[in-house]
Amino acid sequence: MLRITRRPGERIILGDNVVVEVMEIRGQTVRIGIDAPRSVRVYREELWLEVKRENEAAAQAAGAKLPELPPELKGG
Amino acid sequence: MSTTIESSRFGRVEIDPETVVEFPEGLIGLEGSRYALLATDAASPFLWLQSLDDPALAVVVTDPHRFFTGFSVELDDEDAARLGLDDATAVAVYVTVRASPAPEDFTANLRAPILVWSGKAYQIINRAPGCVLRAPLFHAASPEPEPAC
Repeated sequence: MLRITRRPGERIILGDNVVVEVMEIRGQTVRIGIDAPRSVRVYREELWLEVKRENEAAAQAAGAKLPELPPELKGG
Repeated sequence: MSTTIESSRFGRVEIDPETVVEFPEGLIGLEGSRYALLATDAASPFLWLQSLDDPALAVVVTDPHRFFTGFSVELDDEDAARLGLDDATAVAVYVTVRASPAPEDFTANLRAPILVWSGKAYQIINRAPGCVLRAPLFHAASPEPEPAC
């Protein structure tokens, strides 16, 4: 992993059109600004990982049959 | 023209082109961009998003409105602009389902629904409050109405 030291107000440029700026550091928290084209999706890592986990779980329903539901639990 | 795939779950499946959706950005963390929405049991609320790139990959989805009456989707400004969606676009919404041996443990991911229109599909982050990653699908045991989302 590339490691770069930056101060508040300083930026990193990724490729031709993504700019990451360290905006503010307060205690354990760093505020980061990201300027990127609309086609670049930006996620907080933990949310991305959680959605990935749910997608994988939804892909793991075993067998060819859809989940069976008792009648009283059918969605209405 | 229809396509036939050898699904590891369903065997040989003829794919109706009407059911094919393209995920230009993929599904988060999963491979492939072309899927078909398969309703293998018309009486079931569940469908399969079958990958056309990987026959072993199929994801259980459902229409969230069947289970969550107050469900809604709110996009942030970046997503709305990127997808070019406005209120006039008729969008179908699906959510992934985490199945379980016990039905009361089934959950749906309301936080990252899948929006489908004009043969395209996008999994987006839902900004509507209360939309959680694992919302219990069945709440027969609970007399309390579900929260808005």
